[in-house]
Amino acid sequence: MILSEVPPTYYLFLSAAVFSIGLFGILTRRNALMFLMSVELMLNAANINLVAFSLFWGNVTGQTFSLFTMALAAAEVAVGIGIILVLYRNFDDVDVTKATTMRW
Amino acid sequence: MAGAFDFAPAIILLPFLSFLLALTAGNRMPKGGAFGGIAATAGSLLLSIWMVLTVAGGATYDETLYTWVAGAGEETVSLTLGVLVDPLSAMMLLIVSLIAFLVHVFSLGYMNDEGEVGLPRYYAGLGLFSASMLGFVLADNLLMAFMFFELVGLCSYLLIGFWFREPGPASAAKKAFLVTRFGDYFFLVGVVAVFATFGTAQFASGGGTESFPALAEQALEAGETYFGFDAQTWFTIVGLLVLGGVVGKSAQFPLHTWLPDAMEGPTPVSALIHAATMVAAGVYLVARMYGFYALSPTALAIIAFVGGFTALVAATMGVVKKEIKQVLAYSTISQYGYMMLGLGAGGYVAATFHLMTHAFFKALLFLGAGSVIIAMHHNENMWDMGGLREKMPVTYYTFLSGSLALAGIVPFAGFWSKDEVLYEALVHGLGGSPLLLAAYAMGLVAVFFTGFYTFRMVFLTFHGEARSDTARDPHGVRWNVKAPLVVLGVLAATAGFINMVPVAELTGLHIEFLHKWFEHGFAGLTVEHYGTVLHDVAGYTAAEGVPSYAAGVVSLVLALAGAGLAHQLYNVPEPVEHTQRLGGIRDVLFNNYYQDEYQVWLADTVTMGVARVSDLFDQNVVDGVVDGVSAVSLATGRRVRRIQRGVVTDYALLLSLGLTVLVVVLGILGGWFA
Amino acid sequence: MTRPRLKLGSHLARGVGAVALFVVMVLTFLNASFGEASGFPADASITASIGAAMFNLDLGGVPGEGFLVVFIVIAIVLDAALDGAVYLAKREEGGRFAEAFTDGGRDVVDSVLGGDDE
Repeated sequence: MILSEVPPTYYLFLSAAVFSIGLFGILTRRNALMFLMSVELMLNAANINLVAFSLFWGNVTGQTFSLFTMALAAAEVAVGIGIILVLYRNFDDVDVTKATTMRW
Repeated sequence: MAGAFDFAPAIILLPFLSFLLALTAGNRMPKGGAFGGIAATAGSLLLSIWMVLTVAGGATYDETLYTWVAGAGEETVSLTLGVLVDPLSAMMLLIVSLIAFLVHVFSLGYMNDEGEVGLPRYYAGLGLFSASMLGFVLADNLLMAFMFFELVGLCSYLLIGFWFREPGPASAAKKAFLVTRFGDYFFLVGVVAVFATFGTAQFASGGGTESFPALAEQALEAGETYFGFDAQTWFTIVGLLVLGGVVGKSAQFPLHTWLPDAMEGPTPVSALIHAATMVAAGVYLVARMYGFYALSPTALAIIAFVGGFTALVAATMGVVKKEIKQVLAYSTISQYGYMMLGLGAGGYVAATFHLMTHAFFKALLFLGAGSVIIAMHHNENMWDMGGLREKMPVTYYTFLSGSLALAGIVPFAGFWSKDEVLYEALVHGLGGSPLLLAAYAMGLVAVFFTGFYTFRMVFLTFHGEARSDTARDPHGVRWNVKAPLVVLGVLAATAGFINMVPVAELTGLHIEFLHKWFEHGFAGLTVEHYGTVLHDVAGYTAAEGVPSYAAGVVSLVLALAGAGLAHQLYNVPEPVEHTQRLGGIRDVLFNNYYQDEYQVWLADTVTMGVARVSDLFDQNVVDGVVDGVSAVSLATGRRVRRIQRGVVTDYALLLSLGLTVLVVVLGILGGWFA
Repeated sequence: MTRPRLKLGSHLARGVGAVALFVVMVLTFLNASFGEASGFPADASITASIGAAMFNLDLGGVPGEGFLVVFIVIAIVLDAALDGAVYLAKREEGGRFAEAFTDGGRDVVDSVLGGDDE
């Protein structure tokens, strides 16, 4: 029986911390590329959670799922870089706070 | 003869069919719809005679034919249409259908032969009116009566305004409609009050035991209270509300102002609607609901006083008029005052008797006036007439018969009925009601004036020498004018014999046929029941020791005095106007006591003021609330939308804060933080 | 040489959202209870089980759900994402950039139709 010595609560704390750091980045970073990196952080926080509980319950579903999440994150980044390119072309700046045409 | 009553709705439907026929195919018919109308009213007349014969055999009929709103549950009200045939309605059916028939025949002479245009509209109006009036007579509940009451008013408007391209008739039609409508507003409130108080507006249901007058009587005995009033006060209020419609329709003071103006309509219309039938609708309604009115001596006293007052005031106004139809109009107002006096004094039989005789002799007088008007090429001014007696004998003798009846000279019909009304007022007044005595006094004085203006009219029109060329060479009239005059002339002379109370008292014979006619019927609708209620509840006692022939002699003497004065002043070869002798009263009488000006002033100040305040309320409060709601919504929206600055990270912040709040709420509800 | 400095400013105020969420999550996790931990069997190969789970095969000692459908779907999604990225980055001949404009191509419409009414 392979068990983890660390209680699952700590994994949850770690995951919450990483998620919150990612969220902080989304809310405060102005560079669009840093924005994208923060999104990645949030995705990976979820992955940490999945793997931790895969060990806890002894089921391989969590780890398989997290693999697919990573693939999805890669796809999303590809499209995101394309969007940032278009953003730069239209507003001449990658600062997300400068593109304010979607308003009332 | 059980099948007779199944044909009762046909009495209403036949004239209605003639209305539809004249409306749709009148242009293609040879006389513009006249023959359809004559056939329909003849059919209604025959059916009415059949009804009268059946009722004379003791049968009555009360049937609900159609429920147009069925009450759901137990404590609710059903609105129905139905037919009630009992002695009162059978008698009225006969009167209305007979006069309608005669007027249709007369119209052939007055309208068709004179080459009037637009006749299909005229006959359609007459047909609809006949149907509505017959429907009103046959109505078995107050709401249905109200509906037909309004329909009759509508037809009056259409027919008065027949020559609507002239300003006079159009304006007169509007005035008639508005003044009667004003009264009908109170009537409607009264109908609603009846429904609210009793849950039913039937005149005679359950064999006369579940009608609203019967329920009212039971409530009065049980001592119930309504809205804080005790039963008798509340019934007085309801009775007075319904009286509003009666006062308007029967042209009593103060809503009498429309009737003289209604003479702008064609004379057959005046004869049918404004003499014999529509104005009778108000009085008929009170007679129909008499079991209810008899419970309230205050309402009865008011009815009697209004009636007596109107009789006197209208008679004084009729004394100075120049046009023959105007004299007859004021005479109509005055005579309906007598009927109201009779009803208020507790003389149910007397009032309905006068209703019947008046219908005959007033229609006769109007048709006679119509014959004169045809002869005078539509000149109505009596001062241009004169000497028509030799040239129009049939008209003259029938008109004289009607005038004798109107003035109340024995043995013509008007004497017996008017005398009985005055007798009832006298004995019940002496029995302990000073208000009734005052009303009696006014009615008695009006007898003098009635005699005077009636014979003034006769002498100016028919006696003396012709005062204008038209009078010297009048237009002839044909059989279709003379035949109705003859029929009505005979009736005016003989109709009084059915209820000769003084003769019955003197000789001891039981010849009061009309009184006996009203003795059977539904339980709450007979003369004995009314007498009992009047005595027990309203406290009416008849004074003993006053013989009816004594009162009759007094009124006969007064009528003869009035006629004698007219004879002295006007039965001369060349009469002149004597109105200067009246002095200052002359202007007041000429201007009809300034009632028209007064009503216009009321409308301009009171009604306009109320309307302005309502308009202010509507604009500022009602519209203000609605506009205010939208203004608040717009202002808030304008401020709230500034959150959307377009900065993406702001949106992300809002998202995450929203998520946090949601999770917290879920957590508190789900006990995560316990 | 200057060292990297933290960029401080009012834009950091937005971060309070993240802090709030972190606090909420921590509070939740503190009060959470879990069941009996059951780990992996000692002798099973985990990676072999992951591989088997991906193709709905029943090899490998550790139990798991079948992810075959997900595998195919992710393949399609990756393919689509690649195409999307390529499309967004495309340049047109003549120096003008491709059809992805933020205003829905109003400039294009105006230049084609001659700048008529707004």
